[in-house]
Amino acid sequence: MGRLVLYMSMSLDGFIAGPRDNKDNPFGTKGHRLHQWLGDGGEGVSGFRPSDEASRAVFDELMSTGAVITGRRTGDFVGYWGGDHHDGVPIFVPTHQAPASTPPGDVRFVTDGIESCVEQAKAAAGDRDVMLHGAYTARECLRARLLDMLEIQLVPVLFGQGRRLFDGLGAGHIELEPVRTLESPSALHLRYEVQCA
Amino acid sequence: MNPPIRLYMSMSLDGFIAGPDDREGQELGRDGGRVFNWLDDQMSDGPNGQVFRELMATGAVISGRRTFELAGRWQGDHHDGVPIFVLTHRIDDGDVPPGSAQFVTDVEDCAEQARAAAGDRAVMVHGAGVAQALLRAGLLDEMEIHLVPVLLGGGRRLFDSLGPDHIELELVRRLEGPGVMHLRYRVRGTR
Repeated sequence: MGRLVLYMSMSLDGFIAGPRDNKDNPFGTKGHRLHQWLGDGGEGVSGFRPSDEASRAVFDELMSTGAVITGRRTGDFVGYWGGDHHDGVPIFVPTHQAPASTPPGDVRFVTDGIESCVEQAKAAAGDRDVMLHGAYTARECLRARLLDMLEIQLVPVLFGQGRRLFDGLGAGHIELEPVRTLESPSALHLRYEVQCA
Repeated sequence: MNPPIRLYMSMSLDGFIAGPDDREGQELGRDGGRVFNWLDDQMSDGPNGQVFRELMATGAVISGRRTFELAGRWQGDHHDGVPIFVLTHRIDDGDVPPGSAQFVTDVEDCAEQARAAAGDRAVMVHGAGVAQALLRAGLLDEMEIHLVPVLLGGGRRLFDSLGPDHIELELVRRLEGPGVMHLRYRVRGTR
């Protein structure tokens, strides 16, 4: 069984997007700074493959996950990546109410809770890991003790304002075990295992 | 290059330096002591000891008022009697801090005095409020963040009111000790 891994780029002061993020500007004001560890883009997703070895390793792992879970907000912002984040793996979206119109590709809205969503995504991914993306859903999974790992791209910048990854997580410490650190000029890749309480 | 003005702070991965409700009698907040566990290893020959010795070899201290008071004013001596400059908004008549501590109300004045007092040694900065004040004024040279692998879930943040400009950093050193990662960043400036 694969693991549920959160992939998020975060500034040292904890932000994952600049202020005033919306559908037209999903990263918020100057938020693209956090994604400079990726390649410049271009032909399809491979254009985002970073040039330095450490970042490339993380990118390749992300791209070999067998399913994606994304929050409704994140998903709506990016149009569910046109229904295909990578390799056509299914995209699961925990939500209270599925939208009236179904987006293209393999996007599955799950309305019976976060636990069920993770279960379905893991089943679909088989032996491969499940990639999780989105701050709200990350916190839901952390609170429900469903998250297995965090892969944080810690970007050497202070944003000052914007949207935080860890906000209102609530009482109770969650212990982490650092299992791998990869250094690149553009980001420090921190991999943690979430310790069971 | 002049010796740096360097922030030393322990921080959880979610950005907290103390638990919720930090106050007199509960200085580190509820369960906030967790981020200081690595200091149990401060005498070791490893990275934790190295970083602690570096901190204790600084030639002056800049502290925020809140931190200074919560620490019981360090009885006037943080380490080796080096001068302590406490940035504050207000100095009450007749309130003379003990030992080598003194109050300063202007952030530039504070940095300048501390740098002069430290001579060829680095200046240690401690406290979230004063760190943000120095960052906003462009007076902080480096940050040594002791990144602790835990999510505290709430409490007092290190970076809370910095304003809209990005401050670019450069990771110049990474030391991994038991239970903590020491990340040293150089402050490159705003953009």
